[in-house]
Amino acid sequence: MKQMKADVIVVAAGLSGLAASIAAAENGAQVLVFEKASTTGGAANMGMGPLGVGSRIQREHMISLTPGEAFRKHMYFTHYRVDARMVRDYYFKSGDTIDWLMDMGVEFVGVQRAFSAPEDTRAYSDGEFTWHVCKPEGGGVPGPRAATSMTKKMTEHAVELGVEFLFETPVSKIIMEEGKAVGVLAKGKDGEEIEARASSVIIATGGFGDNPKMIQEETGYEFGKTIFNFAIPGMKGDGLKMAWEAGAGKEPCTMELMYQLPDNMNHFILDGAFRQPCLWVNRNGERFMPEDQIGNTTFTGNAITAQPGSIAFSIFDSKLLRKYKKKGPDIVSHVHPHDLYDHFDEQWERDLADGYEPIAQADTIEELAQKAGIDVEGLKAQVEEYNEMCASGFDEIFEKDRRYMQPIEKAPFYCCRQNVGAYGSLGGVKINHKTQVLTQEAKVIPGLYCVGTDACNIFGDSYPFILSGNTMGFCLNSGRIAGENAAAELDDFEY
Amino acid sequence: MKITIDGKEIEAREGQNILDAALEAGVFIPHLCSHPDLEAKGGCRLCSVEIAGQQGAVPACKTQVQEGMEVTVNGPESSKVRKMAMELILASHPADCTGCPKYGKCELQSMYQYMGVSPEGWRKKSRSVANDDSNPLVSHLFTRCVRCGRCIRACQELRGVKVLDYIKTPAGIRAGIPEGRSLADAGCRFCGACIEVCPTGSIMDQVKIMKEERSYAENVVPCKSTCPAHIDIPRYIRYIKKGDFDKAAAVVREKVPFPETLGSICTHACEEECKRGELNAPVSICRLKRFAAANDSGAWKARVRKEDAAGKKAAVIGAGPAGLTAAYYLAKKGHEVTVFEKNEKAGGQCRYGIPAYRLPDELLDKEINTMLEAGFTLKTGAAPASPRELLGQGYDTVLVSIGTHQGTRLPMEGNDLPGVYVNADFLKHARKGTPLPVGEKVMVLGGGNVAYDCARTAVRLGAKEVHMACLESEEQMTSTPDEIEEGRQEGIILHPAHSFLKIIGTGKAEGVEIQKIDKFYFDENHKAVMELVEGSNQVIAVDNVIFAVGQKPEGTEEMELALAHGPYIQVDENLKTSMEGVFAAGDVVTGTKSVIAAIAAGRKAAQQMDVYLGGDGDISEKLLDEEAPSPYLGQDQGFAGLTRVEPEVRDASLRTKDFSLVEQPMTCQQAQCEASRCLQCDLRLLLHRPKLWNEY
Repeated sequence: MKQMKADVIVVAAGLSGLAASIAAAENGAQVLVFEKASTTGGAANMGMGPLGVGSRIQREHMISLTPGEAFRKHMYFTHYRVDARMVRDYYFKSGDTIDWLMDMGVEFVGVQRAFSAPEDTRAYSDGEFTWHVCKPEGGGVPGPRAATSMTKKMTEHAVELGVEFLFETPVSKIIMEEGKAVGVLAKGKDGEEIEARASSVIIATGGFGDNPKMIQEETGYEFGKTIFNFAIPGMKGDGLKMAWEAGAGKEPCTMELMYQLPDNMNHFILDGAFRQPCLWVNRNGERFMPEDQIGNTTFTGNAITAQPGSIAFSIFDSKLLRKYKKKGPDIVSHVHPHDLYDHFDEQWERDLADGYEPIAQADTIEELAQKAGIDVEGLKAQVEEYNEMCASGFDEIFEKDRRYMQPIEKAPFYCCRQNVGAYGSLGGVKINHKTQVLTQEAKVIPGLYCVGTDACNIFGDSYPFILSGNTMGFCLNSGRIAGENAAAELDDFEY
Repeated sequence: MKITIDGKEIEAREGQNILDAALEAGVFIPHLCSHPDLEAKGGCRLCSVEIAGQQGAVPACKTQVQEGMEVTVNGPESSKVRKMAMELILASHPADCTGCPKYGKCELQSMYQYMGVSPEGWRKKSRSVANDDSNPLVSHLFTRCVRCGRCIRACQELRGVKVLDYIKTPAGIRAGIPEGRSLADAGCRFCGACIEVCPTGSIMDQVKIMKEERSYAENVVPCKSTCPAHIDIPRYIRYIKKGDFDKAAAVVREKVPFPETLGSICTHACEEECKRGELNAPVSICRLKRFAAANDSGAWKARVRKEDAAGKKAAVIGAGPAGLTAAYYLAKKGHEVTVFEKNEKAGGQCRYGIPAYRLPDELLDKEINTMLEAGFTLKTGAAPASPRELLGQGYDTVLVSIGTHQGTRLPMEGNDLPGVYVNADFLKHARKGTPLPVGEKVMVLGGGNVAYDCARTAVRLGAKEVHMACLESEEQMTSTPDEIEEGRQEGIILHPAHSFLKIIGTGKAEGVEIQKIDKFYFDENHKAVMELVEGSNQVIAVDNVIFAVGQKPEGTEEMELALAHGPYIQVDENLKTSMEGVFAAGDVVTGTKSVIAAIAAGRKAAQQMDVYLGGDGDISEKLLDEEAPSPYLGQDQGFAGLTRVEPEVRDASLRTKDFSLVEQPMTCQQAQCEASRCLQCDLRLLLHRPKLWNEY
């Protein structure tokens, strides 16, 4: 067995692990990072950018949100069911973390929000300008994956600071001695066993989005049945299992809900095309939310999860489709291609021919309901009621924005089932505001830290979309906090 | 010669291209379609560079170095070409990587991380291709194909298999199989080179064959990683195919000292994992090993490890496969080793448990004699002293490897009637030529391989009607399907899923009462739970009953060692027992397992005991030269359909008359034919993985 030594060991080189490694190395620690993939960045390579409050860019753009305000918004959003001190430390550090990244050479196109609420719900659910979107190299409009430019700069900076990365070398166990974490056991790509020892171990493996068994056990959802979450390969819950095995306490895990189509990568055009404020019903054929809110993926995911069978259906008619093709979508998504209706017919015909199960097309509402698996009488009654309301120009039930009151009357009709989705899992390992791992009795386990998604217990039941960029924001800042604390402990040790 | 890249002078060789020279010198230039093992094609344009004195950008992979050449990687022209090339790749590649199993190990992902290119500059063009998971080994997800052509070059040129090619589709050109054929129909050799070189997730190993608990290399060559002794299976099979049987035997010998024994009776867990098994039937790995061992001239003997005398003494109690293996390797490490065996012959279960019709004495004698050439002392018929006594007699270390030679008699009515036997005694007597008397009808209680050994031995001893009853259903039985089938051919009447209630008889065994089981399972406390079918009792009249329901170690209670789960010796992960200097290995630790597991344990014991005696613990041997296998496979149209060659088996009507070998070794032709079915999964591990930017 190969023996290794370092001051700080970081388990996984995703965003939180990179932040932890850099912070520890900047403060004088010798850092060893074990990563089971061959690249750094983990799930962040799919993202666009992190949250920050009080950054240089925000000040330049006269965005007046303060860390204190963000803290209060967050705590009201979560009803104070989460660790206020952790939340406070996170937001008060987050602006500086953006500056820290910029000093490393990371560039941002500016500050955005992921979601802009319709006028009538702005008071309750509007997004703040906290989302620092990474700048694609050479300009252009940022899209998914834009954050790779950030993970690249961070990786380069880590290497400059002397951080050593071991790729394709998963950690299997935290070595515990006398109640203290003292190192890890890992296995190289060719099967070589490694025992590495350090003063501190920081776990940063990104949750269990790719582990159906854990999803079922920890959250009750059934992958591929009641939830179709992003299963980013490798997110197996390794860190949570290791931490719990080492004696960490447990916090309730949640899924970071949104909604999407099954196998959405191969049906991405439809995923975007049906994400419109047309007619949305549940399995009984009944509307269940004002459709002008469906751009809020968190609330919509929550709403779908509450419906019978945790499913919903998005329906439009030929007239509406023609309008979308001509004038573009009612709600523009920053994720889907802008010209998606140009490709709609091609993808629709192919998916119909292939028997892609979530979609249906029919010339009557009855037939549509039958094909899609919606209660026939329920949908007929609902469409009738909805069309009447469209004619009168007012949604008496949910007061949906009248611009979107467009009837469902001209055949053929198009329907697409919507499933509960999720970005991944959240939380599980009990930590304090220094990101030290705690036992169930809230006693610190010396030498053990847990950061990022594995320990993100601060969102309560729902992703705080009002402060966008929050998942990456927490990963960066919790990682940085852990790295600083782990390095500081070395000083205590020496003097 | 010297060239400069971005002002930095590097060494390059005549005839080398700029990309290879730069990468070799540790200077990273983005690239995607070139691969260390494939000829450069210059298609992706990501490696575009500028050369002083030349107009425009050129692909570095297609430009030869020249003395004094000044290369700029990120000049205005080359950057523009590179950026546009990347944008075009991304414009037709799925935007959402989250469902892709290649995530985190994808070269394209690493490349856009490095280049930071936005995908939004070009009109997004989806090129959906339905995923093809019809093949059990290879998954095709060509929606992700970036048309770099690496898989095609690997398949066409490197391997010569010529299955993959560019195909035209309405959505444009991509990699695929012409004429819409399946991999099997197109003549695929399933070598996995295409998977290995694909920079994206377009061609991948089927997820279900890649087990999480194994490393990448272990997953790619599962036969080798599954074998407890990690014999280099693809390597010896390749030698058999080439007709180089001596080298094949040497490969096996590098890991195990009982090759022919194993080739006859191994439980061959390797075959369960053989990827060929996913296509039709696994390669007959075990029988090929027997063939190689039977055709061994012993040339490997010239190369065995023989270290100088180290002045230390080791004792081994028990000359079964674990003890003999440990002694064999300890002797090579220069230790003075004595093996004590209480029976008159060495071999343990191989000698006294496994019937002669599966493993004849002569074969075992031959292999043990070969092992003795390593220079250790074997004392048979020697009542062993206790470990403490041996330490007192001047032995520096002791290994306890006495196996499990005591049969278990279940607590039930009539279990001590005359005519009731236990497996270990029954088999041992038969093997020694002094069989226990057998009447017309026999009942064996148990459902494992040992139960079959008893039943088939009873048949050979003249029993006219042999029954077997076991708690498990036929699917749950631990005996191998081969064993069940051969038993059936020999007329054994199986009563699976039956509970045994009592043995009936006055003065001697006269019958067994059994009852049908409805459900049999282990509850959360690992306790066996049985639900019986009311009124299904029946009495089967027999003259003898043989218990074959497990075996346990004998005499461990008197050894002053800490025990676990009853009579088994407790050891730590280095096989150390509770007594300083005393080790234990094999069945006496693990309970009755397999010969190959005992050999693997014997090797580990030798390593640990050598370390304990002050050695380095290295028992590895190189019994033949390393030879790089040819990467070229060539075409073989019917490859996927090649059926497994089964060795010749004596007819049941003949073989039940005596204890001669049931199964004949393969002929040369059979062996070479069977060996050619191997997919050579290990070949792809010899391909070089392109280094990513973060590794420069």
